[in-house]
Amino acid sequence: MIRIRFHGRGGHGVKTASRILGTAAFLAGFETQDSPVYGAERRGAAVTAFARISETPIRERGMIAQPDLIVLADDTLLNDPAAGVLVGQETASAIFLNAADPAPLVAQYHIAPPARAFDVTARTRELLGRPSALSAGVASAAAKLCGCITEANLEAAVREEFSHLAVSPDAVTKNVEIALSVFAALEPAVLSDVPRAATAEMARVPYVDPVLGASTVYNSGNAEQRHTGAWRVERPVIDAGLCTRCGLCFVECPDGAMSLDATGLPLVDYDHCKGCMICSHVCPVDAITHQPETAAW
Amino acid sequence: MSRQLLTGNAAAAWGARLADVDYIPAFPITPQTEIIETLAAWSQAGELPGRFVTFDGEHSMLTAAGAAAAAGARTFTATSSQGLLFGMESLYTISGWRVPLVLVNVSRGLSAPITLGPDHNDVLAARDAGFVQIHAETCQEVLDSILMGYRIAEDRRVSVPVLVNLDGFYLSFTREPVDVPDEAAVREFLPPFDFEHLGFRASRPIAQGVAVLEGATYSHFRYQMHRAIQNAAAVHAEATVEFSRLFGRSYAAIEQYRVEDADTVLVMAGSFAAKGKAAVDQWRADGRRVGLLRLRVVRPFPAAELAAALSGRRAVGVIDQNLSPGVGGIFCQELAAALYSVPDRPPVLRSFVTGLGGKDISQSEFDHVLSVLDAAQSGDPVTDTELLMTAAEWQQVQGRLASARRPVEDNAPLPTDSDDVRAAVRAEFEDARGGVS
Repeated sequence: MIRIRFHGRGGHGVKTASRILGTAAFLAGFETQDSPVYGAERRGAAVTAFARISETPIRERGMIAQPDLIVLADDTLLNDPAAGVLVGQETASAIFLNAADPAPLVAQYHIAPPARAFDVTARTRELLGRPSALSAGVASAAAKLCGCITEANLEAAVREEFSHLAVSPDAVTKNVEIALSVFAALEPAVLSDVPRAATAEMARVPYVDPVLGASTVYNSGNAEQRHTGAWRVERPVIDAGLCTRCGLCFVECPDGAMSLDATGLPLVDYDHCKGCMICSHVCPVDAITHQPETAAW
Repeated sequence: MSRQLLTGNAAAAWGARLADVDYIPAFPITPQTEIIETLAAWSQAGELPGRFVTFDGEHSMLTAAGAAAAAGARTFTATSSQGLLFGMESLYTISGWRVPLVLVNVSRGLSAPITLGPDHNDVLAARDAGFVQIHAETCQEVLDSILMGYRIAEDRRVSVPVLVNLDGFYLSFTREPVDVPDEAAVREFLPPFDFEHLGFRASRPIAQGVAVLEGATYSHFRYQMHRAIQNAAAVHAEATVEFSRLFGRSYAAIEQYRVEDADTVLVMAGSFAAKGKAAVDQWRADGRRVGLLRLRVVRPFPAAELAAALSGRRAVGVIDQNLSPGVGGIFCQELAAALYSVPDRPPVLRSFVTGLGGKDISQSEFDHVLSVLDAAQSGDPVTDTELLMTAAEWQQVQGRLASARRPVEDNAPLPTDSDDVRAAVRAEFEDARGGVS
């Protein structure tokens, strides 16, 4: 069995990528299974999706803690421990990185499995004119690394899955082109069956005081510890020279992620700004500009 | 027949479509919503002749489902978790009307704390509601059980609703290959709904669900529901034979997996049984004689089948994905009762609980279950249900708990004397009113 885990952000299309891979393997005659995990269902939030491909009936379900292949659509997720991109990397035979050059990422994040890379974002931008959803490209990378899926299976799967989405025939054709170019550029991974599941110690869960035995948060305000700024697709940047200190952005910010300094200049709390850009829309003098947040988009 | 990749939710929608349902009362709830979205899309596209109607909640939705079935409409509806509990009063009501319909529940843990992952406390809260209850392990079984469900529900030996359960996420959002039967074959398996004994019409008025204030008569009606659901065992078995003939797939009330020569048997239900089967495969490869029984039909409880299948085994471990606080795993209790009168019942029976809120079950936990069963002896003192959790998971829980605690130094001292408490509360109240009297 090959276990594949996809990581991306809401909007990257990793759920669709897992479905494309599942459909391609299904068309190739394998037993397959694909599923996403939804957390915060929001554009920009971390999303994980899974696929299993096997010649025999699949007796596994749910999340994949020990993948054979990790497919990463956005390397900024390596900074988010909650995304768990490298969880179980010890058993992985390869990791795919959406990047032109994997070497700096491998060094910085101590990535253990052999890394394969392709700049899917650049190819998508080149063909579609914008760094749109990356599903076809990352699905194609996974399909090639698996080594058991043909180009014809992949193309049929991309067409099948895009037929369920509201996209133009031209966009489907270009996504097929993206998929095929990624497919041609990569080599299959050398899949090895790394022994799994060392025996884990068991816990005995005792009775605890109701303070810890009920789901009550006494430490109110601890939501601050969750840096939802990592979901941001675009970053609002305020031009202090143009800003008239009207305070509209401060009032309209739905996340309370803006404060005013002593002169009335708005300051953005980038740890918690989710990048909705309402501030930019309401600014009467266009003093707030959009900057792309991750290279993957 | 076509073989397609379908989620459990899509398979449920296909089941309703192929059953040619007349009426679909609907209300959304995660992780069920995709079922009614799929049916709504088909309805809008004109591919589904049945009437699709949205409601303001599960209580009215289920009442409408029962009322439609009473009028002779083949009815399908679906819910999950809190929705099932919100509709609980209606569940008992419509089963008391003795109307056939199929309700799909997509299992999800109950609040509080609120969660999205699956366990079986929602569906087992409905175990006494007078529904036949079938738990599916695969997306294929979801579709097939809905078709079988209508056949069982509409049989006059039964005539109560059927609940088909699938696990949230592990089935609901998981795609896997599913054989979608041809409509013609389904028509042969499931002829049109013969509602002769129902058929409420304005032109044929009847009074349904009338008050019965006399205890003996009330007892009669309630006991009839018990007999009806007991009858469903034979009707299910007949339906299985016919289903197997037409579609080549066969479902017994309990699925027996590699139990032939097993001295030790695990008992599980739902999609997590797949993980149990993988553990069995691993143990078998190591030369261990272990098998697994999967509870498929939960009501009627297949006591005789379980007793026959477990008679003569050395040890049985029940892994419940549910928890009855103060008792433990529910299926273990029911199984113990079923085994009580069996002369050569297994001397070792142990209860384990895991998978609550969708918690995964690792091979390590299965290995632990087997080691507990191996060490257990006949005549051991009665043991409590054991919650399966790895030390690493428990450590993670500790981290979550720590982040929810207020640092001790931030705790304002609370008044202790009751007069002080009243004074403090009064002051706070006055303060909140801003001094306005």
